[in-house]
Amino acid sequence: MSGSLWTVDATGMVVIANALVASIVLIVLGRFLAHGALTSGTPEGRQVVGEFATDFFLRKSRDMAHGYDRGAVVRTVTPFLGTFFFFILTCNLFVLIPLPVVNRPPTSYFSVTLALAVSAVVGNLILSARFNGPAGAAKHLFWPNPMQWVSEFTDVLSLSLRLFGNIGGEYMTLVLVAAVVPVGIPLILHVLGLIPTFVQAFVFTLLTASFLAGSMHRNERAKKARHPWFSRKQAESA
Amino acid sequence: MNTVLMALVAVVPIAAGALAAAFAMKRISVTALDGMTRQPEIAPQLFTAMLIGMALVEALAIYTLVVTLVLAGKIVVP
Repeated sequence: MSGSLWTVDATGMVVIANALVASIVLIVLGRFLAHGALTSGTPEGRQVVGEFATDFFLRKSRDMAHGYDRGAVVRTVTPFLGTFFFFILTCNLFVLIPLPVVNRPPTSYFSVTLALAVSAVVGNLILSARFNGPAGAAKHLFWPNPMQWVSEFTDVLSLSLRLFGNIGGEYMTLVLVAAVVPVGIPLILHVLGLIPTFVQAFVFTLLTASFLAGSMHRNERAKKARHPWFSRKQAESA
Repeated sequence: MNTVLMALVAVVPIAAGALAAAFAMKRISVTALDGMTRQPEIAPQLFTAMLIGMALVEALAIYTLVVTLVLAGKIVVP
């Protein structure tokens, strides 16, 4: 293996190149699926595949839109979550390509997973500022627990280390085993490694979605508005 | 530092992490299998929940792996 996992040196250009290849693959796939006239009636052809791909993220963002302007929330949060999932999935699947330089998945570099985790957490902050206002974002950082902002840093670390450890560890194991037994056993490792590939992309997106849902808490206020503390007569009309 | 001592110390985090993660995953999978046996019709949902639980526990083992990698990188062969 050339280059170290913990530093970015000249071979760090491989990181950027592989991540760019993953992005280009995703953009081309997206344009292919969204090509042509899209109908809101019965979909057919490519639209079925596109809707299947985005359905999960649409439902998640619809669930967290209670009490907010639903169109704005869904239009912003769905691509946010969907991009994380498909980008991480595409990056992880690079390990299956038999070419020498493209072989290394971008998510097996700590720099890439750290960047993804920082984007997720900073994106959560920006989205909660957009929907709750700047005061809402400050309240999210300090309210139930004044050290809540520290847990943002631990969220960054846990998201990035989880993804890096799974995919980077899988790649390291593959390289070490293939140096000893070039044929046969790496195939088993590739097949077994498909499971963390999908699960880690899903878990990253799920955790980002639950952090975001935790910061959009206006639905609780709508329920509490009807139960004042000290007046019984008003409570009965709720 | 003494190379032998560093090498011995570097092994401890990953061993403890893997052991603890194994016990936690045992508990998770046994509970999930019991539930799938009781109610086979909700088996896919139980499987999804089990996978998510295992991924989160595995993350803890991976944090110890990171510590081990850092320590193993500091072993200097004289």
